[in-house]
Amino acid sequence: MIKILAACGAGVNSSHQIKSALEQEMGNRGYEVQCDAVMVKDINEDMISHYDIFAPIAQTDLGFNINIPIVDCGPILYRIPMMADPVYNQMEETIKSLGK
Amino acid sequence: MFQTIVDISNKVFQPIIDMGAPVLMLIILTLLAWAFGVKFSKALEGGIKLAIALTGIGLIMGILTGSFSDAMQAFVKNTGFDLSITDVGWAPLATVTWGSPYTLFFLLIMVIVNIVMLMMNKTDTLDVDIFDIWHLSIVGLFAMYCGANIIIATLLVVFIGVLKIINSDLMKPTFDDLLKAPAANPMTTTHMNYMMNPVIMLLDKIFDKLFPWLDKYDFDAAALNKKIGFWGSKFAIGVYLGVFVGILGGQTPKEIFALAFTAGASLELFSIIGSWFIASVEPLSQGITNFANKKMEGRKFNIGLDWPFIAGRAEVWAAANVLAPIMLLEAMILPGNKLLPLGGIIAMGVTPALLVVTRGKLIRMIVIGALELPLFLWSGTLMAEFITKTATQIDPAKYANMGLISHTTMEGPIEKFLAYVVGNASTGEFKFIMYALVALVLYLGIFVWYAGQMKKRNAEYAAQKA
Repeated sequence: MIKILAACGAGVNSSHQIKSALEQEMGNRGYEVQCDAVMVKDINEDMISHYDIFAPIAQTDLGFNINIPIVDCGPILYRIPMMADPVYNQMEETIKSLGK
Repeated sequence: MFQTIVDISNKVFQPIIDMGAPVLMLIILTLLAWAFGVKFSKALEGGIKLAIALTGIGLIMGILTGSFSDAMQAFVKNTGFDLSITDVGWAPLATVTWGSPYTLFFLLIMVIVNIVMLMMNKTDTLDVDIFDIWHLSIVGLFAMYCGANIIIATLLVVFIGVLKIINSDLMKPTFDDLLKAPAANPMTTTHMNYMMNPVIMLLDKIFDKLFPWLDKYDFDAAALNKKIGFWGSKFAIGVYLGVFVGILGGQTPKEIFALAFTAGASLELFSIIGSWFIASVEPLSQGITNFANKKMEGRKFNIGLDWPFIAGRAEVWAAANVLAPIMLLEAMILPGNKLLPLGGIIAMGVTPALLVVTRGKLIRMIVIGALELPLFLWSGTLMAEFITKTATQIDPAKYANMGLISHTTMEGPIEKFLAYVVGNASTGEFKFIMYALVALVLYLGIFVWYAGQMKKRNAEYAAQKA
């Protein structure tokens, strides 16, 4: 099980879209992933240490170093499959690199 | 002939309307998504989610306002602060708006307006942020509540909607700068909160003249956020505002804790149910995007998203954190305000626009934010009666005695005042017709000035790249 953390403003809209898309697409590709969606402001070092991959919309400044792989997932929000594919591919590569 | 049509449609539709908003919206949303080519089962899934979200948010509103009503009255009596309207944050307001079929009507109109603007090369933005149509719809609904007919309300919605789309083009290079992204990055937004940009820019220019030396005291936004930790999260805010009201309302310790935990629980639940809302519109959003994409084949465009693609900028949260206690103070002393900040106290509807105009100058964000917050409090107060009445209609029997509710930091306060004067002007009162004309001219005038400033800024960006 790969745990992914998505984040946006209220933790309910953009990050939920990313969560649903990642869970569905990675599931289709044969990976067992679980993605949580939260507010950017609620993320701290302790929270992020419980996840394998961080999936923000774009560059995110949390005030501390993020020690897990980061995959920017903004293009998923465009709702155009062709533009989201590179993100899924990068996510798949990252999952493989974890070696879990 | 006409009368027969009206009679027949009344016979068919009245029983459905009488079933209440959740049933009505389930049917309409399902059919609309289906019409946009979404698979029927997906469309129905969205419809049912909307119905449970409408029902769920009503339940929580009942719990929150019910448990606070006695304490609030005692608070008002003890302190003399007439802050009798409960600030429920954005989710219940989205409910009220998505509980009306007019929202889907305004949505369809704006989809057409957007496609026409793209085809005429008046914009480069395709807006796919379907859920946030509610920000525009609530302006139209409020105008109608104040007396506008559907045509006037639609004209107002289209007027503001067109400016919103133009604004997303104006801001695009600034977003690239804030995200350190190349111009090929298509992310932009038509979000309503950025319609405060013109006013913020005016204040920013004044700041340039009076206090430019203040900028050197800018501090590290991310470090501040890290220090604040969980104290800025929803449940914590609910808890300490519950304690605040409970103590000043002279409640017993047992009651104070009950208030604190009820407020904390309600704020968390609002946000969870808010996510159902967004999920409910998801199939329709995809359907509309597919439809618009098909119309746009070969046309290059940017994509209008919800605002938080810049939520990774720490200044958005640092400014919101600092503005929260400032807003609490302002709420208590501001004449004409009746809202006690609670659900909207983290001002997400205020700070993104501050970031875009000042480009991350934190002290300016805070000072200008503090100056513009009264507009938000007044507009929230002005809207309370309308919001409460409309919310009650979701289930009149249950919520008939619900106290007044509203939202302290709802994006687009100026647009709410516009709706108020335009709505009242529609009743024919001369005074309001004059107000409405002056307000619309001023609103457009300051936007045009702002657009000029942004074009200068964008030319500088282009020059840097060249």
